[in-house]
Amino acid sequence: MLSRVAESLFWMSRYFERAENTARFLDVNFNLMLDLNSITTVDHPNYWSPLIMVMSDPEDFRAHYSEYNAHNVTDYLVFNRQNSSSIISSIGMARENARSIIESISSEMWEQLNNLYHFLQSVTPQQVHNDPYSFYKEIKNASHLFQGITDNTFSRNEGWDFVQIGKYLERADNAARLIDVKYHMLMPKRGQNLDLVKNSVDIIQWMAVLKSCSALEAFRKVYLSKIDPDNILRFLILDRTFPRSITFSICAAQEALWRISGSSLHRYTNNVDRLIGKMDAELSYTTVDDIHLQGVHDFLEDIQKGVIKVGEQLHLLYFAYHTPKIEPIDVTEGLTFTGITGGRANWSQSQQQQQQQ
Amino acid sequence: MTRLFEHYDACTDRFFDEVIAKNGVPRQHYDKMMRRFAQLSVDDIHARRQLVNIFFRNQGITFTVYGVDEGIERIFPFDLIPRIIPAPEWECIERGLLQRITALNEFLSDIYHDQKILKDKIIPADLVLGSKHFCREFVGVRPPLGVYIHVTGSDLIRDADGRYMVLEDNLRTPSGVSYMLQNRQAMKRAFPVLFDRYKVRPVDSYPQQLLRTLQEISPTQKADPKVVVLTPGIYNSAYFEHSFLAQQMGVQLTEGRDLVVNNNKVYTRTTRGLQRVDVIYRRLDDDFLDPLVFRPDSKLGVAGLINAYRKGNVALANAIGTGVADDKVIYSFVPDIIRYYLGEDPILKNVETWLPSNPKHLKYILENLDKLVVKAANESGGYGMLVGPHATQEEREKFAEMIVANPRNYIAQPTISLSRHPSFIGDSEVAACHIDLRPYVLYGKSPSIVPGGLTRVALKKGSLVVNSSQGGGSKDTWVIDI
Repeated sequence: MLSRVAESLFWMSRYFERAENTARFLDVNFNLMLDLNSITTVDHPNYWSPLIMVMSDPEDFRAHYSEYNAHNVTDYLVFNRQNSSSIISSIGMARENARSIIESISSEMWEQLNNLYHFLQSVTPQQVHNDPYSFYKEIKNASHLFQGITDNTFSRNEGWDFVQIGKYLERADNAARLIDVKYHMLMPKRGQNLDLVKNSVDIIQWMAVLKSCSALEAFRKVYLSKIDPDNILRFLILDRTFPRSITFSICAAQEALWRISGSSLHRYTNNVDRLIGKMDAELSYTTVDDIHLQGVHDFLEDIQKGVIKVGEQLHLLYFAYHTPKIEPIDVTEGLTFTGITGGRANWSQSQQQQQQQ
Repeated sequence: MTRLFEHYDACTDRFFDEVIAKNGVPRQHYDKMMRRFAQLSVDDIHARRQLVNIFFRNQGITFTVYGVDEGIERIFPFDLIPRIIPAPEWECIERGLLQRITALNEFLSDIYHDQKILKDKIIPADLVLGSKHFCREFVGVRPPLGVYIHVTGSDLIRDADGRYMVLEDNLRTPSGVSYMLQNRQAMKRAFPVLFDRYKVRPVDSYPQQLLRTLQEISPTQKADPKVVVLTPGIYNSAYFEHSFLAQQMGVQLTEGRDLVVNNNKVYTRTTRGLQRVDVIYRRLDDDFLDPLVFRPDSKLGVAGLINAYRKGNVALANAIGTGVADDKVIYSFVPDIIRYYLGEDPILKNVETWLPSNPKHLKYILENLDKLVVKAANESGGYGMLVGPHATQEEREKFAEMIVANPRNYIAQPTISLSRHPSFIGDSEVAACHIDLRPYVLYGKSPSIVPGGLTRVALKKGSLVVNSSQGGGSKDTWVIDI
């Protein structure tokens, strides 16, 4: 498979997953606000600023908006084209990547991604404000449909594996960020008795975290209704069966990497496999007590760093083979999206626009 | 006449109408179509248009307009009324094009080798050797099978008497064939009943034929030579077509940076290392192919590609330097070229052409600018032209200056009243719009043509410019057995 095609498959999948996760966070936050409206207002900044911390760059947000509230945060994370991780940017970049390899994916995959893109172009902020539930549901369903279509129409070759790697690395990274921020907000304060922490507001918040990972029902099946922070960490980080947990995601990415390289347990053949194997081993033999010993924040930060390192090595091994140095050029007018981080860049746009007979 | 055609004005005294004959009744091969449309209400038409639009949009069938701010992609406008060509008429077109392409290939082979036609003074040598697209570097290089133009798309028009004429030859990287294929799909979806009533010759085998042509020119003796399509990239106006053809042929779509030349052999960069390439169907201008030989600033090409080509390690379709034969100045000599190489009279006529480099012609051109169409010799896509009767005095004066300053770079032709065809302007009105026809000729071991082509239509009332970049649309084109 062409290195460029592999790279675009990887990023297409990654950006789509990112858009889905952003939609999940926002959706749950709206629901949470409704649950809590007896004690706070929907626009309370304490409930909106964490979303920016998870998904984006607070400094960049500050450059565009004066305060954290429902409207501004939604606008920034859904519609803002300058924000490269907004839903509209993510889907745009997923689509640009797909467009550059349109002959390599199934036409059904393209149609689905293209549909979502056009749907997003047609939605107004007012519509999202009036009915956030339907809008986020639309995004989540579109993502699920895309994955289902991919499963059912895309050959199980290397390309499929790169799609899986993109999806699961992004999911592991997003989950780590989400837990990190929520834990920071809700963690037991020094000297505080754990039982006291379990007041109703915190439980609602933790339930929101589970919901944003579609994990509440699966969690209950394992831990019944014992919603305490440790069980939640155990479930969202260490569970080996739940498809949105960090361990599951890392494990799934590892399996895809093995299929590409032919590596197997304890026998790595390259640096990517070594790094992901290390992450998998650490997660496999870690307990919640170990996580506390290291510090939850540190532990989750290590996961995010690990994902970045795997991404770098993946790039060097499979995508960057003999790649000439590409100088980025200014993006000219008429382009909806600026640059595609990782992978495709808008280089030489003017030359590409040569006349066709 | 049906309701849709109630206000249709064929003006058969001034124009050749494809559907309505001089006596005011539909031509026989359009009869069934007219009766079918008679049964359709405006709502039916609207519903079918929606169906087609969704089909095109979902397939990502869009093209890019350069230099426009509002969004970069547009759906190529598609007209629901098909153009129908009866088999005998088509066979004449087919013979004419095969004759023309064969002669043009001989011409290219000659001017890149012995240059007999120049020595015999059939064409002034300076016009050929001075052409922007003449590649001195390729004199003496013989492409596989001696074929230069593997894919061509000549533009045909019909004059007021309905005679087919060649307006221009596109011998470098002709585009539009994907629309021919997709228009057919859309038409089958929207009008299955009508389609069923005609015996329409299929065009669907084009991608297979293209692949076979490309494999035939492989310089290596492999059972399954590796073919790739080379595109400038996703911002090119015809990117959809490049990816579509690659997908239909089942070959890789590559950009310049996917290819690397090592020891005069071309390889793709893959996740498993380098893989040898035998044939490149390139949709990239000569200028950008190789920064070491042509434009050094090209970021789209492959360093070393030209040397690999000269060594015979890779085939390019089309060959390099074919643009000299579709130079609009050389165009005016094509009837002579046909007579010279084949000893036959041309089956398809040329449009009368004046060359400013000839002083007598120049005088005529400058005196009659308001009646003529002036075109730059080496532009395409409808850019760089003046339609005299529709231009302002100021525009004509500007062109007059440019012509005098650089006579070799222009040609002038009479304003041909292209034939007209009923087309939808909105859902409820059918008007007569000007059309042309671009059939596609493939040339490997021998030349062949898929029965049909792209009918382009100027959807602006009265406009003569059918290029998609200038507001044109297209129609499905049916070659039918009667």
